[in-house]
Amino acid sequence: MSTFPAQLSQNMRRISLLGWWVIGLMVLVGVGLVSSIHVLIQGLGVTQLSNQVPWGLWITVDLSAIALGAGAFSLSTLAYIFRVKTFRGIARMAVFVGLVGYTSAMLALLMDIGRPDRFWHPLVYWNVHSVLWEITMCVVLYSTVLIVEFVPILFESKLIRSRLPFAPRLGHLIHRLTPVVSILGLGLSLLHQSSLGATYGVLVARPIWFKPSMPVMFILSAVGAGAAFTLGLTLVYENLSRHRYISSKLRVYVASFAGLTLLAYLYLKVWDFLATTYYSHLPARASAQSLLERTTPYGASFWLAEVILGALLPAIILLTPRLRRLDLAVILAMVMAIMGIIVNRWNVTLSGLIVPLDWSPGVAEVFSVNAYQPGAPEWGVVVGVVAYALLLLTLGLRYMPLFSSEDH
Amino acid sequence: MSETHDAPDTQSGNERFVSRRDFLRMMIGLGVTVAGAAALSRVPALSELLAQEMALETAAGTGDHGATHGNGSSPHRWGMVINLRKCIGCEYCVYACQAVNDVSDDMRWNVHLVDKTETGNIFHMTRPCLHCQDAPCVSVCPVGATYVRDDGIVIMDYDKCIGCRYCQVACPYGARSFNWHQRTEASGYQKDWGSAEIERRPRGVAEKCTFCVHRIDRGLSQGLIPGVDRAATPACVNICPVQARIFGDLNDPLSPVSRAIAEHPVFRLREDLGTEPKVYYIPPEGMAL
Repeated sequence: MSTFPAQLSQNMRRISLLGWWVIGLMVLVGVGLVSSIHVLIQGLGVTQLSNQVPWGLWITVDLSAIALGAGAFSLSTLAYIFRVKTFRGIARMAVFVGLVGYTSAMLALLMDIGRPDRFWHPLVYWNVHSVLWEITMCVVLYSTVLIVEFVPILFESKLIRSRLPFAPRLGHLIHRLTPVVSILGLGLSLLHQSSLGATYGVLVARPIWFKPSMPVMFILSAVGAGAAFTLGLTLVYENLSRHRYISSKLRVYVASFAGLTLLAYLYLKVWDFLATTYYSHLPARASAQSLLERTTPYGASFWLAEVILGALLPAIILLTPRLRRLDLAVILAMVMAIMGIIVNRWNVTLSGLIVPLDWSPGVAEVFSVNAYQPGAPEWGVVVGVVAYALLLLTLGLRYMPLFSSEDH
Repeated sequence: MSETHDAPDTQSGNERFVSRRDFLRMMIGLGVTVAGAAALSRVPALSELLAQEMALETAAGTGDHGATHGNGSSPHRWGMVINLRKCIGCEYCVYACQAVNDVSDDMRWNVHLVDKTETGNIFHMTRPCLHCQDAPCVSVCPVGATYVRDDGIVIMDYDKCIGCRYCQVACPYGARSFNWHQRTEASGYQKDWGSAEIERRPRGVAEKCTFCVHRIDRGLSQGLIPGVDRAATPACVNICPVQARIFGDLNDPLSPVSRAIAEHPVFRLREDLGTEPKVYYIPPEGMAL
């Protein structure tokens, strides 16, 4: 009877808010797909990367996504290795967030390498002296660990259970491996989360990067922000569904853990600044630092975005009993910690690369500061990856038993 | 009361205090371990073996943490001398390199720039790949796609490279280029400066100067001497109108490079980084070493 447009608008009115959210995310995933296909066909020449600045936005996204997934190993460690039973209430959520983080990072990484068809080469052609080889192996192995940890959750969901009657039993069988798998996951994570910092820290030619504190700062910031991310997401979900999924005791535990780790990160970060910049004078590092101060917002974003907003304030919120009782405050702490991680990974990557390598023996200023601003295809891919992550998180929270209380 | 306190509680280990006997036992054990370790470390065979190993490593020049191929069996170690006193900045070496190696016009394997000494003298600086013995690009490559050959030349395996560009980030000299685009055209320099002698590289892999390794390998198999016979010598060296570039075997004291190094004061770029480059520079006028 009714005309097509009328029918359409009637149907559209029936779509829930969640439906619109999912549709919107799928559109953004589409944007990412189009950008990715563009990059795959045309090559990395369509990016703003150059021989002077070969790493940029995508590496920042990789590093941030892996860091935010660090809640998976740290919270599972507390739950299954140190056997703090309370933490079990959030272990599944943490594993799921980890899985989302790692797959997002792999998507961005696949776009970033010049020969995506050879992504498997590090598994076959080994250079054990390369920190990047170690990272690749650990990330691949750790993703397997995450899958093993996730399968029982998947098999327990209504979606699978109704189709495969034997799934819950199989899932339970795999679940019994959890303590062993957690130890494996802890080792692999400790290795690659810090090695990501070492990727920069071992390069003797880059005075801004070359320091042994890099790997430790990377892992501490990842563990702190990763736990804050898992907790913040949980609170967002609790508010959307108007139901509490974790006990207030667990909330205090996770908040304290994240806050204390962020404080440890701050302690090291400030000491690193004092030791490498304030109390000492290495000519190459000093001149690189002053170049950054003159030509980039590096100094301001370091203190304001990385230290104060990105770590100090979240730590204060997460460690103050009155503040961490407020959902909005904890969610704000999560947002600030995420921002802190992203700005830090961006600053680390770019600060090292835009300072030119001075290899010419004379005194003339022959090398100018290298510039980089990500282009549209790079942003497109990032929009797609972030939308993919949000879509997966939404569907997971909606359809997977991430907070089931039967976990024992 | 005092009796229950003194009696060691054998049921619960937590409540048992360290007895004098336990402490003595532990100290004796510790002493024996330390003495044993000290005795072991003084066994001459072990330290001798270690010393021998280290001597071997130094002799082979492979005391690096890079993937060197083979056991250092090549009798040659190829190197270059660039005389900054002679260089006039004509860039012929750049153009010949681009043509012979079919290098894309938007990249340079061999670069030229104008620099100044502390005394204010302008001089011309050129830089090929320095073929570091302890090359940062080699140690960071996750797949071993770039490596130091037995004869000291650092080359690429384009079939292995995944295009992660860590080598570019790690090289202290900016000597590496990445193929951002699919090549459609030959080097624009081939019209005037020579024809392509090697295959064009595909999109998505890194590349760099090879010391014209194809000429060296072919030349040696024909009994030619690289650095002396033109057919076995890098294009940049051959084309130089003022003989500012010298090539040859650093292991051979009579080679042109070894003699130049013996006769002149020389330096290498960023010695402080410990990369052990095999390109030596004769300083320009006005630069003290």
